[in-house]
Amino acid sequence: MIEYDSVTKIFGIGKKAVTATDNVTFTIADGETAVFLGPSGCGKTTLLRMTNRLEAVTRGTIRVMGRDTMEMDAQKLRLSMGYVIQQIGLFPNKTIAGNIAVVPRMLGWDRGEIRSRVDELLGMVNLDPEIYRDRYPAELSGGQQQRVGVARGLAANPDILLMDEPFGAIDPINRDQIQDEFLRLQGKLKKTIAFVSHDIHEAIKMADKIAIFKDGRLVQFDTPEAILMRPANKFVSDFVGADRALKVLGLLRIRDAMNPEPRNLVQAGEDAPGVLKMMEAQNLPLAFVIKDNRPVGYVHPKLLKYEQGRVGELAEKFPETLGAREPVRDALSAMLMHDITAFPVVDDNGNLAGTISYRQIQKSILDLYADDHEESKIE
Amino acid sequence: MTLFAFLQDNLARTLFLAWEHVWLVGLSLLIAMCTGIPIGIAITRSKDLAQKVLAGANVIMTVPSIALFGLMLPILAIVGHGLGKVPAVIALVLYSLLPIIRNTFIAIKNVDPALVDAGRGMGMGKWRLLREVEIPLAVPVILAGLKTAAVMNIGIAAIAAYVGAGGLGVFIQQGIARSHETMILTGALAVSLLAIVVDLAMSLLERWVTPKGLKI
Repeated sequence: MIEYDSVTKIFGIGKKAVTATDNVTFTIADGETAVFLGPSGCGKTTLLRMTNRLEAVTRGTIRVMGRDTMEMDAQKLRLSMGYVIQQIGLFPNKTIAGNIAVVPRMLGWDRGEIRSRVDELLGMVNLDPEIYRDRYPAELSGGQQQRVGVARGLAANPDILLMDEPFGAIDPINRDQIQDEFLRLQGKLKKTIAFVSHDIHEAIKMADKIAIFKDGRLVQFDTPEAILMRPANKFVSDFVGADRALKVLGLLRIRDAMNPEPRNLVQAGEDAPGVLKMMEAQNLPLAFVIKDNRPVGYVHPKLLKYEQGRVGELAEKFPETLGAREPVRDALSAMLMHDITAFPVVDDNGNLAGTISYRQIQKSILDLYADDHEESKIE
Repeated sequence: MTLFAFLQDNLARTLFLAWEHVWLVGLSLLIAMCTGIPIGIAITRSKDLAQKVLAGANVIMTVPSIALFGLMLPILAIVGHGLGKVPAVIALVLYSLLPIIRNTFIAIKNVDPALVDAGRGMGMGKWRLLREVEIPLAVPVILAGLKTAAVMNIGIAAIAAYVGAGGLGVFIQQGIARSHETMILTGALAVSLLAIVVDLAMSLLERWVTPKGLKI
């Protein structure tokens, strides 16, 4: 847990004094990723650097695991936290293993322990230890280097990780991938993370909570959904952008918006005339054809008219399948691209998990708004 | 008399003078290294101090060597060492300091601040950071400074023959006094050869001590 309590930082003295962070109070709970978000010069990096005392706090207190950081030994404090920076900062004179081993060595681990930990960490960040252990940073691509940077931050298994725009210097394609990998890792490790970013997309993707700063002040601290749907003021709504409903689509998972028990299912073995009759009776514009609980395709009344065969053979195939864990944005994109208003959703094993339609997407967005706007409606 | 015949007749003496020359330069370089590198590192902590030290070393550099020997003579004469190897070594040390201090200072200053930040943020202390990161990364530039000092000092040491320090300069000095061309030529060629060999050797050393990760 990291508690910021009325934290103020003033650089310089007298007339030249600049307030970098101004009376900031919030708490990052255990196992939570808090993204510090804001334009440059808003104080987010200063706040991070005060957390491990690379900068001294002018007023207020920062407590880590309940202890006031200013009463702790700065070096011990830093050894107890992982630190990952945008410029990566791998030591070019040390091998990959040597870089990862820096903190464990300072903590006095024995050689065997360090070696196995290095291999374990390289595996965790998807780099083959056999290939990369003895290489030098200059031999790695930017994305690989930052994977090592993350591994180095995690080396001594700290409870807390401080990350200063860790993926900022990586090209967009690699960035997306490394973010996904990191999310998967964090899902297992459950570290308490303070993560500085200036990118709203990254913040929405990575954060459990987002802290938005402006001119050194904390403007809003809340979940990504709440920030998107309930911006505290004009600055926040401008910062998250006019397309915030679309951004929510990126945040919402298909499994949260889909219909888990669709009625319009037919088995592949059923006869076309029977299915047609059923569809006309229930006024269904479309039915999902499934076989062994896997989606085969879809049929609509026009397709079945005058046909006698089984629907499994007549069904049109879906151009893509959607996973329950994918963002709703992907579902909407598929609908727009293929002009199909409903898609089957499959679980990790390819079995049908539910169906998602355009109307359901719209409804889930409206539900989110409804939660927020109930009070104003009552007025 | 040909150069070859002169060498044949004076082989032992030539080798001895060459040895003396190397010894003078080597000893002064060692002393300058042991003082210059720590000074160079120390002044990275204070901009003010760095300016003063570098300016001071610069002033020493601008004094012509023959004048420096002249200036030191009355001072060192007090302790009975106005002539000989002592003033020579002192002068060579003084001349070496500038390139060594300056290169050390620049090399440490030029270490990527992100690396220093990463090191500090991970909990490295000043000394550990210096030992594990800053100095290894600075080594190639520091060595380039040592090379400059060594090559320059081989030339200056030849002049030290005038204050009785010995070395290959003796051939040049005595050759001029006696209008003995072959003798002058031998001394001049030997000094030049020595400078070239030392330059090559230092370049090899530079490559050898540069951390492997920096050569990729």
